[in-house]
Amino acid sequence: MSARPAPDDRLSAYLDGELDAAERDAVDGYLAESSEWRAGRDEVAFARDALRGLPVHEARAGFWEEVLSPDMAEVRARRRSRVPRLTAAATAAVAVAAVVVASLVIPSPNRVTPRVPALSDSHAVRTSVSDEPVSQLATLSMVTPFRK
Amino acid sequence: MAGGVPTWEEVARDHGRFLYNVAYRLAGNDSDAQDLVQEALLRVRKGLERYQPGSLEGWLARIVTNVFLDEVRRRRRRPADSFPEDPDWVIPPAPAADEVSTGFSDEVQAALAALPEEFRSAVVLCDVADLPYEEIAESLGVPVGTVRSRIHRGRRLLRNALVSTEETA
Repeated sequence: MSARPAPDDRLSAYLDGELDAAERDAVDGYLAESSEWRAGRDEVAFARDALRGLPVHEARAGFWEEVLSPDMAEVRARRRSRVPRLTAAATAAVAVAAVVVASLVIPSPNRVTPRVPALSDSHAVRTSVSDEPVSQLATLSMVTPFRK
Repeated sequence: MAGGVPTWEEVARDHGRFLYNVAYRLAGNDSDAQDLVQEALLRVRKGLERYQPGSLEGWLARIVTNVFLDEVRRRRRRPADSFPEDPDWVIPPAPAADEVSTGFSDEVQAALAALPEEFRSAVVLCDVADLPYEEIAESLGVPVGTVRSRIHRGRRLLRNALVSTEETA
């Protein structure tokens, strides 16, 4: 004898007449033997009956006249064409924003801008003191040692 | 009606009430239901040439459910697109002051609107549109077993919501 499974989605299918003969027989058996299965069936049946008992919800007065009027067809067509336009505009705005953000965030290449006038002035000052223009061409910090 | 295929105006006149009811149960408010119906009728207009005479209301229910699910997906992708006039799209709507309260029906509608969309659409197609599981599976693009599970779980969630509403009342 196989163990009885817990109540499952066969209960809804049972109520809807969607089980094949073998499954229906199995569920019939569980329902006859098990209060748990019967409680499960009653819970699902409660929701099913509540949904099926809902009244037909009517559209507001005048809605169908508007839908069926020739003018409304044009309005609907306009509404539909508005969507691609809005999408295109949004895409363009995002692209522009991306370019602006990228230009701010991505670092530009390092540029070397030697302070030529300042270097020239300091060189002139040093040579005027030491009277050795050649050895004073470069400041000490700029001397790069040669390595073998 | 020529050769068994109705015009879209005939569809709107003869089956509009059914279409609107399904749209309302899916969307949960009149503003969105009106939009769903109009979009569904546009698709009906385009698709009538391909329509095979059969269950017209089943076909309409499938179309309006697809419109609903497309809209849900669109709003999920772009939440900022939610229109100011429809803040109730996600939040279960309270009945408007000018609506006649129908008591238990309002509670059922509120519980239905609170269900996740995949359960709600399966339950509405089954219990409001009265479609068989196979047609629901085709409409939603999922296997029949998934439909069975969603309907069952949707009903259980709805039942629990109704019971807890009664307990707090």
